Amino acid sequence: MRRSSAYIPVSTAAALLVSSSTLFFVFTCPWLAENVSLSFPPCVGIVFLFAVANFTMATFMDAGVFPRADDDEDKDEDVRAPLYRTVEVRGVQVRMKWCSSCHFYRPPRCSHCSVCDHCVEDFDHHCPWVNNCIGRRNYRFFFLFLLSLSLHMAGVFSGGLLYVLDHLEDLWELHAAVTLAVMSVSGLFFIPVLGLACFHLVLVARGRTTNEQVTGKFQGGVNPFTRGCRLNLQFVLFSPIMPRYTGKLSDRVPVPVHPPFHHPESQTLTPVKSSENCVPSQTPPVKSLEVVDDPDSKHRTSPPPLPPKPDPVLLKNHLAALEESLLQSRAVMPSGHKTNPLQTSKSPTKVLYQVPRDQIGTRISPLVPQEHASDPSLLQSENPENSLTLNSRSLSLKHSQRRVAETPGPSASVLISRSGSLSYDSLLRPAERLGSQTPFLPMDSSLSRGPGCNCSPVFMNISRHSPQHREPSPVCYDSLAKPLMSSIQERREPDEKDRPLAPNSGIYDIPSRRSLPHDFRGPSSRGPTPPAYGSREFLLSSAAYGYGSRSHLSSSSSSSLTRTPRAASSPLHFNRSLSPSFYHSLDRHSQQFPSALPSSSYGHQKALAFIRGEERPEPEL
Amino acid sequence: MISAPRTATDRTKLPYCHESFHNLQELRHSASLANKVFIQRDYTDGTICKFQTKFPSELDSRIERTLFEDTVKTLNNYYAEAEKIGGQSYLEGCLACLTVYLIFLCIETRYEKVLKKISRYIQEQNEKIYAPRGLLITDPLERGMRVIEISVYEDRGSSGSSSGSSTTSSSGR
Repeated sequence: MRRSSAYIPVSTAAALLVSSSTLFFVFTCPWLAENVSLSFPPCVGIVFLFAVANFTMATFMDAGVFPRADDDEDKDEDVRAPLYRTVEVRGVQVRMKWCSSCHFYRPPRCSHCSVCDHCVEDFDHHCPWVNNCIGRRNYRFFFLFLLSLSLHMAGVFSGGLLYVLDHLEDLWELHAAVTLAVMSVSGLFFIPVLGLACFHLVLVARGRTTNEQVTGKFQGGVNPFTRGCRLNLQFVLFSPIMPRYTGKLSDRVPVPVHPPFHHPESQTLTPVKSSENCVPSQTPPVKSLEVVDDPDSKHRTSPPPLPPKPDPVLLKNHLAALEESLLQSRAVMPSGHKTNPLQTSKSPTKVLYQVPRDQIGTRISPLVPQEHASDPSLLQSENPENSLTLNSRSLSLKHSQRRVAETPGPSASVLISRSGSLSYDSLLRPAERLGSQTPFLPMDSSLSRGPGCNCSPVFMNISRHSPQHREPSPVCYDSLAKPLMSSIQERREPDEKDRPLAPNSGIYDIPSRRSLPHDFRGPSSRGPTPPAYGSREFLLSSAAYGYGSRSHLSSSSSSSLTRTPRAASSPLHFNRSLSPSFYHSLDRHSQQFPSALPSSSYGHQKALAFIRGEERPEPEL
Repeated sequence: MISAPRTATDRTKLPYCHESFHNLQELRHSASLANKVFIQRDYTDGTICKFQTKFPSELDSRIERTLFEDTVKTLNNYYAEAEKIGGQSYLEGCLACLTVYLIFLCIETRYEKVLKKISRYIQEQNEKIYAPRGLLITDPLERGMRVIEISVYEDRGSSGSSSGSSTTSSSGR
């Protein structure tokens, strides 16, 4: 809440404007209408109305306030991330500063208003005369207010002057006295207002905000936000007005998320090798389903050059086959429910963000239709929301399909393969986690994609660490038969052995944020002199060089928040034990990040550079 | 062919399922939020609203690259259309000035119309493409157009509480 003293300037300004103009219209305008021109008072009236409207809009319109970021977005940012993040705007490096109040990196031209305590888009300044921030949404109103007020003041002053000059002999008469008073007020404020209007005219022409002008951001350099004088003016006056960010959310129909989830099949369909003792007859239908399931991803899978590749497929087929056999042996509904858990997450308010609070209760109702899976009409009656009906009905159709078919139909098999793949994934990832003890994780899957890959190695690695928060593997194993478990375990050991031997063509293991040891954190990354331990890319370099570089992390394509457990700090420990030359090459590579565009070609170049191990010149920071 | 039981109580009479449904609550919440992926803004062309189309690696195993890129590109196109300065925006500006901005109380600006279109598009994408893959896109407007937030859900049906039920059923096989 603002102090009540903050309302003094705005109320003064409003009072002065309205009262002076009213007095002018009452006392001076009749004479002016008769003696100067009939159209003079209406013109002044229109300009006055325009000024008041713009004043009102500038006062009450949201300037473009950014809503505060959720905790989820900034979970890792808050403590370990650098203070600045650099982004390239039209070839110019622009720094985005971390806002500790709003918990995000401020977009370019955004600034935090200390009076209002929020970040404003295209922040110009906080105007006490309107008691509001001037930002992207209301800048044009403020600008037009200044122009129209200047014009109005000029009109009032000149009208009053004409009157006074004609009534010089009787200045103490009421009308004359009032006119004189109004003249003096308007004359007094005319100079500063005109000065401000001219200042903003220049700013608009140059495409700058007051903030940028005052802080001297583009004093010596190039302003990347300018479009040229005419286009800047056009942008200020005629660009569409954005709606508020912080307004009330419109009622949206929530979209429920029901497992099992469809996964794109990313492995190649290599023929299933020897030990398919379990269920050899089951694998062909699963394979064909995999083809049908996701033809798109096939282009991603080049022939795997590395030994571990066929094994995941083998495991997957085994799991899929096992699930099929499990399904066949049981009554359909319970198995269906096992592989198709019903509803969404434990915290309904978090799952479906668009849901207004009053709709939370209604989402329990889809469960009921799913229990009556064979009766779609019930769905209709119980479920007022169409999307929920849609989803539950589609599930009910799946249920009914499985009920009808003697053998699992395609949809059932798809579900099985999905659930099989899911459990396989959670199986494999704990294996990866163990494998991450070594400093080099095989980036083979990213490399094998070749030029098509545009994932930077950093994020590949983070994705590998991302599922670490999941249940540990033993829980997954419970759902499988013992023979399969043992065969999987046997196969895992060669996997782990293979990992350290994977080609280390300069690929380094950047631990995800969470896996960094605690002692690596400075007292605060947001202090006045932020310690430089950067985020992901710069962590190792600062370890090597003692907080050398402190900023300029390029904006990542997706700052994913991996919730890896803090205990998984082993990768960094291993990395520390590596040779200094390793750190040196790391630093050289990592320092190239700031200058790179956050575009797909960047990641591609990096991946290729790592493959070739080529040296790149250090950019200017 | 066994017809599926219709009520939970009926299902409890089936073999092996007393473990399955001992806690409907757990099954109900078996898709849980695992992770959130944030697609950041692409500022290379200035402050126009545009999101990066780079495919995040976290979604590698969850959705096809082309689908994701199509979604983001379509969103970018929508935003570009919304922010276009052309005939309609001139008209709106002039009309607003003439009516002393009272027009904003009456009609919906083009930007608002496009935002509604975007909202419908995101809803449709969620229903058709993302929710079946265990993902949900949040409208960037809710995040101040800074990020596209994609919530990644995982299926806890194959682990956690319901694993006990599968054990009993598999042992009873």
